Amino acid sequence: MGNGHGLEVLVLLRETRDPRPPVRLLASGAALRSTGLRRVVNPADLAALEVAVARPGAVVTALAVGGEELDDALRLGLSMGAARAIRIWDEALRDGDAVAEARVLRRTLEILRPTLFLTGSSLLDRGDDASAALAGAGLGMACARQVVSLALERGRALAIRRAEKGWREEVELRLPCTVLVDAGAAEPRYPDLPSVLGALAAPVAVWGLAELGLPAWELGFDGAALRPVGLAAPRSDPLRVETPDPSQPAHERVRSLFSGGIRPRQGRVHLGSAGQAVERILAIFAEEGLLPGGGP
Amino acid sequence: MMFPQLFSPVRLGRVELKNRISFQPHLTNFAVDTLPSEKHVHYWGERAKGGAGLIVTEEMSVHPTDRAYEKLIEVFRPEVIPGFRRITDRVHEFGARTFAQINHNGQQCDGTLSRLPVFAPSPVADPLFREIPKEMEPEDIEEVARYFARSAVHVREGGFDGIELQFGHSSLARQFLSPLSNQRTDEFGGSVENRMRAPLLFIAAVRKAVGPDFTVGIRLCADEMIPWGGLNLADVQELAVRFEAAGLIDFMDLSIGTFYNLFLVEGSMHTPLGYTVPLAAGIRSRIRLPVFCTGRINDPTMAEKVLVNGQADVIGMCRALICDPFLPQKAQEGRLGDIRSCVADNQNCIGRIGMNKTLGCIQNPAVGLEKEWGEGTLRPAPVKKRVVVVGGGPAGMWAAKMAGRRGHAVDLYDKGEQLGGQVLLAMKGAGREEFGVLVRNEKAQVEKAGVRVHLGVEVTPELVAATRPDVVICATGSVPARNPRIGGARGPAVWNVWEVLQGKAELGQKVCLVDTDGHHRATATAELIASQGRSVHVLCSSLFVGAELGPTQDLYLTRQRLLQKGCTFTPDIAVLEVAGAAGEKRLKGVNVYSNATQEFGPYDSVVLAIEQEVEDQLYRALKHQVKELYRIGDCVAPRKVDMAIWEGHRVGREI
Repeated sequence: MGNGHGLEVLVLLRETRDPRPPVRLLASGAALRSTGLRRVVNPADLAALEVAVARPGAVVTALAVGGEELDDALRLGLSMGAARAIRIWDEALRDGDAVAEARVLRRTLEILRPTLFLTGSSLLDRGDDASAALAGAGLGMACARQVVSLALERGRALAIRRAEKGWREEVELRLPCTVLVDAGAAEPRYPDLPSVLGALAAPVAVWGLAELGLPAWELGFDGAALRPVGLAAPRSDPLRVETPDPSQPAHERVRSLFSGGIRPRQGRVHLGSAGQAVERILAIFAEEGLLPGGGP
Repeated sequence: MMFPQLFSPVRLGRVELKNRISFQPHLTNFAVDTLPSEKHVHYWGERAKGGAGLIVTEEMSVHPTDRAYEKLIEVFRPEVIPGFRRITDRVHEFGARTFAQINHNGQQCDGTLSRLPVFAPSPVADPLFREIPKEMEPEDIEEVARYFARSAVHVREGGFDGIELQFGHSSLARQFLSPLSNQRTDEFGGSVENRMRAPLLFIAAVRKAVGPDFTVGIRLCADEMIPWGGLNLADVQELAVRFEAAGLIDFMDLSIGTFYNLFLVEGSMHTPLGYTVPLAAGIRSRIRLPVFCTGRINDPTMAEKVLVNGQADVIGMCRALICDPFLPQKAQEGRLGDIRSCVADNQNCIGRIGMNKTLGCIQNPAVGLEKEWGEGTLRPAPVKKRVVVVGGGPAGMWAAKMAGRRGHAVDLYDKGEQLGGQVLLAMKGAGREEFGVLVRNEKAQVEKAGVRVHLGVEVTPELVAATRPDVVICATGSVPARNPRIGGARGPAVWNVWEVLQGKAELGQKVCLVDTDGHHRATATAELIASQGRSVHVLCSSLFVGAELGPTQDLYLTRQRLLQKGCTFTPDIAVLEVAGAAGEKRLKGVNVYSNATQEFGPYDSVVLAIEQEVEDQLYRALKHQVKELYRIGDCVAPRKVDMAIWEGHRVGREI
């Protein structure tokens, strides 16, 4: 595997929508509206890149599948230590599903033949993305997900992955393999200014269908086996309110509405001196069972 | 964002609303020859521009027998389509969606307008219109269903995004659903299934006409609240479940009450804010369709709470957006202090509509004049002038605000310690506290307009001469009549409304209030006195006490509270004379119909709720003394707050 000059690592960078601002649906109701949303590089993908560049001798290629807007993500990858950047795009890739995207990634793996294929374990906005695992699986590559640390020993990868209830599971993978990195595996560094400036001028290779050698009908919308139909925010659970009792006459129902369901009890006015008022209040408390020894 | 739920999108059928604020259907009387007019275009356009997610039009008539009002749009006529296109194009410009509400009012109609018999399930008269309707034959029901379908096609052709079928407080459909108005024994009456048959025919006809991909919803009356029967919440919950199960509709809007109890349909400030929320929550708990809640929700905070609590999916705002079309935009931007809150005074919206006038708003003179006076029409003054406004009531505040916004250098004077003028007094009447919001709404805007406010300063001709302004606007208001025409009105233990509201009147236990006003000035004062534990007898020359409160939907609750507080009334009496010492006040009156004189008393005190007179001394002193002199509001002629604001707005816009 690799070209013999070092450990070849391919890292897939994906953009997600920052889920913190409120999101809006498209009129079709089947997807989110992108305008007004902040796009960010998926944090787990950046952690994967950090894991890759931290490995001594690793030659890291940053990969993204999408339009020109992803060049910023790739330049960020370059400034963080990636040796080169490749962006794959063709209009035919639009609106694909994980299966269709996996075809693109698998072809890329066949061309680049990396030892490690890394990306984030989950996407910030949409959760799981199966395309990376599917692509590797198509080539017989093992896959470990939710990986928090990774080591290479004697031609094998040793990965520690996050398991349920805080458990840690250690797994061994034959190389080449796919490793889906947990967002907490590494804290992506802020690149220094010279690296950022260098990345601005660095080339981003753009591959289209010709470079991949794939037919358009297997990709994007045409190649997708899954079609989004609808997307809806959950219906909020009702907080119970007092509704007018249908068995009551209309004027009582109106009174119930106007009082928010609070039913006043008949008030009484007791006149007298302060001392008499105190005595009367104590007597009422006793009648209501609010005083020790008293009872209704 | 302060209101994430309110400004989250929601889907109604195939239509997505950008937020959950719906400008609800209401009459405007803007139709011309039963067709949509240019006023409609700009009126609804302004609310779309202001940020509402949905605009639901006023009810439009589907059949010639449905003429509840003179100025309804007849949606069954294809001639409506060009007007509809202008409306929908305008609303769509601002990213809002718009539904047309279509309706047949059934028994709640005026056959003398249509010159046709009124249609209803049974020959039961509506308590307001009191006209015995024709019991619809099955062919009539089928014909109305066909007209619903035909109307729906015009709505779709007109570019609307959906249709709301009015099955609520004023509709033939409700009359079929309610056993009170549906006394049929055929397949359209009796069981729930039978009572739903005609309404379902209407829905099915509309659905067939517009196709499955067009949004169609209904507005149900959640509780008729009629003492002698009718639909209650439990009945309507069952109806809602069945309508949903029919699978033909996409949303459910709600209303409350009927024409018997219009005070519930269009709750005034005597009804609590959000009074219909429990009903919406009750319906929503039984169905999955998006549910609307409408009824005095005039504030985004409350709207958000209703949504967060899961008590409704869409908030209907009607008067709130008549009053301030830009409430949604201001709420979204967090500019809550700039929202002009509706006070549900009802004088110019419901009050005017009920009298067959065009829609208005006491606080928004631009209603119906959006093209001329709407957002963005205010132009900077070509010549910047030094303007002195005298009087900080509604007229003065509006004149100062508008002139300030146009770049004039404005000084606003008031001899009192606060801005507000007579509003500060009116809000002291029982149940009228919310009227004070008028001052809160304007005070900050006056300051934002750069107006210099001088309180506790009485403006004299000398002060004007010393400051030498280019323009003086007198908004000095009115005062209780100095020399009332009633004999003995200046005698002992006789007080006017102002003295009572200010707490200056030394009233005895037994009070007689003389009412020639017929409005809140009399009734809210009577109620205030009764609330102090005194007995109040009201004498008025009209047919009943509170004669002016009918159109504003205040009559029922006002009289209910007055009676609960022990007030007694004698109508038909014109008071001629008040005599006697304190504690022995006697009144002499004449019955306006029989002309017989009558004596009333003895009373401890008498309160006069009679005419006001102008406070125009300053105006008269300044006439011909200053370059430009205007007078506005009550100091021209004592009227109500709507005219004060109207004149203040206009002069501020024009100088």
